[in-house]
Amino acid sequence: MDDDVITTLKLLIIGESGVGKSSLLLRFTEDTFDPDQAATIGVDFKVKTLSIDGNKAKLAIWDTAGQERFRTLTPSYYRGAQGVILVYDVTKRETFTRLENWLNELETYTTRNEIVKMLVGNKIDRDDPEVDRNEGLKFARKHSMLFIEASAKTKDGVQCAFEELVEKILQTPGLWESENQGQKVRLGDQEHDGGRACGGYCSIP
Amino acid sequence: MPEIETETGRDEGGKSQQQHDTDMAADSDPESEVFEITDFTTASEWERFVSRVEEVLNEWKLIGLSAGSVNPEKGEYTSGTWGEKCLDINFADFKFYITHYFLKQECEKDNGKDKLEEDSFPLAMQDLLCMNNDFPPRAHCLVRWYGIREFVVITPGTNCEAIISESKCNLLHSSVSIALANSGCQVPIFVQIQQKWRRVYAGECQGPGCAQTLRWSTFAKVVTCPLCLRSTSLSASHFDTLLGGEVGGVEFGKLPFGACEEPIRELHLATTWPHLAEGIVVDNDVYSDLDPLQAPHWSVRVRTADNPQCLLGDFLTEFFKLCGRKESTEEVLGRGMPEEEGKENSDISSALSKLTEPAAAVPISKLSVSNIVHSARKHIRRHRHTDESPLKTDVLNSVLLYLFPDAAVEKSSESSRNRTAPTNPSGIAEQEKTPDYEFVLELRYRWENNYLVYGLAAGPPDLRCCLLHQKLQMLNCCIERKRARDEARKVLEGNRGRERKVSGGGPSDRPTAGSTREVSPGKSWDSWSDSEDEFFECLSDQGEGEAPHAEGDKEGSKVKAEGRLHPQGNMTLLNSTELLYIPVTQEPAPMTEDLLEEQSEVLAKLGTSAEGTHLRARMQSACLLSDMESFKAANPGCALDDFVRWYSPRDYVEEEVEDEKGNMVLKGMMSSRMMIPGNMWVEAWESARKPADVTQNLLPCILHAAILKLKEEESVEDIPSVKKSIQQAISQASKLLHTLSHDYKKLEDFINQLMALETAITQARSLKAKFATCEGGTAEDTEELEKFVSSLLEDPEVVVLGAGQGPAGSIIHRLFINSQRAALLSPMEDEFGLEKKPGGGSNKILLRTCVPRPAPYSKALPQRLFCVLMKEEFRLAGAFSSDTTFF
Repeated sequence: MDDDVITTLKLLIIGESGVGKSSLLLRFTEDTFDPDQAATIGVDFKVKTLSIDGNKAKLAIWDTAGQERFRTLTPSYYRGAQGVILVYDVTKRETFTRLENWLNELETYTTRNEIVKMLVGNKIDRDDPEVDRNEGLKFARKHSMLFIEASAKTKDGVQCAFEELVEKILQTPGLWESENQGQKVRLGDQEHDGGRACGGYCSIP
Repeated sequence: MPEIETETGRDEGGKSQQQHDTDMAADSDPESEVFEITDFTTASEWERFVSRVEEVLNEWKLIGLSAGSVNPEKGEYTSGTWGEKCLDINFADFKFYITHYFLKQECEKDNGKDKLEEDSFPLAMQDLLCMNNDFPPRAHCLVRWYGIREFVVITPGTNCEAIISESKCNLLHSSVSIALANSGCQVPIFVQIQQKWRRVYAGECQGPGCAQTLRWSTFAKVVTCPLCLRSTSLSASHFDTLLGGEVGGVEFGKLPFGACEEPIRELHLATTWPHLAEGIVVDNDVYSDLDPLQAPHWSVRVRTADNPQCLLGDFLTEFFKLCGRKESTEEVLGRGMPEEEGKENSDISSALSKLTEPAAAVPISKLSVSNIVHSARKHIRRHRHTDESPLKTDVLNSVLLYLFPDAAVEKSSESSRNRTAPTNPSGIAEQEKTPDYEFVLELRYRWENNYLVYGLAAGPPDLRCCLLHQKLQMLNCCIERKRARDEARKVLEGNRGRERKVSGGGPSDRPTAGSTREVSPGKSWDSWSDSEDEFFECLSDQGEGEAPHAEGDKEGSKVKAEGRLHPQGNMTLLNSTELLYIPVTQEPAPMTEDLLEEQSEVLAKLGTSAEGTHLRARMQSACLLSDMESFKAANPGCALDDFVRWYSPRDYVEEEVEDEKGNMVLKGMMSSRMMIPGNMWVEAWESARKPADVTQNLLPCILHAAILKLKEEESVEDIPSVKKSIQQAISQASKLLHTLSHDYKKLEDFINQLMALETAITQARSLKAKFATCEGGTAEDTEELEKFVSSLLEDPEVVVLGAGQGPAGSIIHRLFINSQRAALLSPMEDEFGLEKKPGGGSNKILLRTCVPRPAPYSKALPQRLFCVLMKEEFRLAGAFSSDTTFF
């Protein structure tokens, strides 16, 4: 089974607490839904093999706790991820407005620059939406992310979300071919570097 | 032939396979059409060999007209890429390689139509007369000799003896002849005969329909062994004066760089007189018209030394070897590392890894530097007279000063300070110092006295840096927290009116309030994160029950509240009127990459089952538990609901409900998922991990510095190819070094690459030095020389502009004269001095003509003879064509 797997991808699921991150993951990996899904402590981990255009990719998906307090702990697991699913709850505007914070967090803690990001608006089965689809679209465009609305409860868009993300990762050259993680080291030429000043490996004087 | 045929009987196993091959070949055999039954059962090995050769030619599509492009461009043989295809073929038990060499040219199909004339010569014959690519500097020897762009060579296999006997040579030659005739292939085929090193070939090329046959032979008479000739070379020793290297003088903070020996071994000067007509030139023992200085065309080739000794490369290799050493530091560096007595702190050199090492929660009281130093010193005294320290004090001091540049400033201000632990490097017996020991001592000193390690970015370990860097950052984190704690204690104890000296000073830039938290003293919670263990257990140990009491104690509460940070708005507890306080919480300990990796691995290993999920949650519940405890401490009498309201507000649902009196009131409850009973306790996690060696931790730093050094040196010389390689090296380094366990084979290759880069730079430097001195040269000349040098580095052979009269030419002339003079001075090389020409290397003569052969009425066909005359060897390579129709 593992023989024809072309690569192992690390995916992250992040977002505010209670938006349904674990439920989305559970729907995707086991096709089940538990309305009383326990609140995640720290990080959780699931594996699933996905076939995209005949290419099998093994996905190691890290589900994180959304609570503020866990945010000192969870970013440690961001490193080396090739894709991230950023979830908000369409019925709670607050979870949408805090997306910027999550993106900043991602920027700070991921070791890759070209990580593929997907925005998922969850719980579209509810009839009390507070965030319009267009708002989600706009946000995703602004931050060059993939976007989809989904419902872990009714299955809508869940499979599609993961497939799109993985396909995009596989299409991004240099993101998954190499076994080794980490961004490229840049030496010297700092003036070309612009924002991220990673001056190489170590700066022991 | 008879010799080989007797061997057929031996090959029983391979027989059926060969039979099969022959059958396959039969398809292309025209004779199979003539006879109804074709019997190949009696085919000899020779016939099989011939058909196999034809088969290969078929497979490679070499049959038919060679509709190649027009004459190759000037210099294309050198600049273009050559392709090579190889197959094994057998002649009975003899293994041969058949190899097709060809110049890769852009397909010019549109040219094909006018080239397909009936009478046109095969491409190879046209090439014989083409003058665009005479004397290519870098090509297969057959290309150099015959000027052809495509050919096939049959060479004996590696474990087969050479074809020496006349009959065997003839047999092979005729096989080729037959194969060519049968297949109509126009590509010349050569057979290598005689011993390999002699490079003797016999070959044949056959023309189209009208059956013009060329017989190509290579005659080479080797008088003596073709020794490597020094004749055209400038021997390296004469270059040394030009070098001016960076040899010696180790300076801290700079890696050594440069070649210890001349990286340019020889300069080959080729002087060419192209297009000489008959009877113009006289060249004999006494007189020669061919004065190199007057030659119209000069070109220079650089022969570099193989693996010259270069300082940076040597340094990296040495260091890399150290990484593989199994000996202890003491054995490597010599005595001087004091061994420790007592069980705790048994290894002073691993102090750094103790910071993050799992399963070694060292209580802070035991970690006291004074203890260590005390026992160390005891030890030192004992060893003082017997052992020699590996480094001189002044060297060591400069190392330390380099590593801790802030120490010099500190020391001056310290004199006034009353220091509790005499652990400053200068406090140690001078002759016992080793850098790593001193380094660790210094770190300990800093830890104990709250001095940050200099030059590191603040904050948690930066996972993009190497492990050592992360660990040092980790140490800084600890020092900062300790500072903050000491600070807090000072305030506390100041209140109690006790005087206490607090060392350290500067304000911490981290939020310090968090570190003062000492909830429920004496009650230590186990955490699966070991770094947390070490550090925060230390906290509670040192606390000794002196927990800071929040000032806001309310008389009403029965239990004293502790560790309050601030109230959460004006939210009150659900079951009382007390304000809900946010507790002072403990930050999860920052982690270095290695630990993080381990943790992720452990978490992932638990699998994806519900059980695994549960176990994972438990393992990570330390943070949650600690927060709950602090919450309880800060809010006596609180309930879980209260905690949830602070911790995960979205899990506390408030809705308006009607109470008994009919009023609408807000009623809140926890979300259903929070109602799930889940008992979290801590899974202790133990693991013994071997800390990596110092050298291994330093390796990324060293390689990083080496690349920087190369880049710096390259920027001075500006060599495009090296620049490109450095870019590649950088990305490769990032891949190689990012993993924690290094792949040593790849690292070794990588170091070799760096060495090659260094060599390339030193070569450039050496050449620049040689061609820089042009007396009375104009700016134009200088520019021209620079261009000349850079093309010398990039191209295999460079044309000297202005030949002997140009600026480069005069320098070359001088170099050769110097070389010759030096050679004359040394009596060992007396055979050298008689040469009239500078260097007096090899002479190559190429003769070309078109004459009718074999009879006067035959067609005029290209003939070519190539001769190389060297001191102890000459070689003739002739291609003579003859008309096979009219003879």
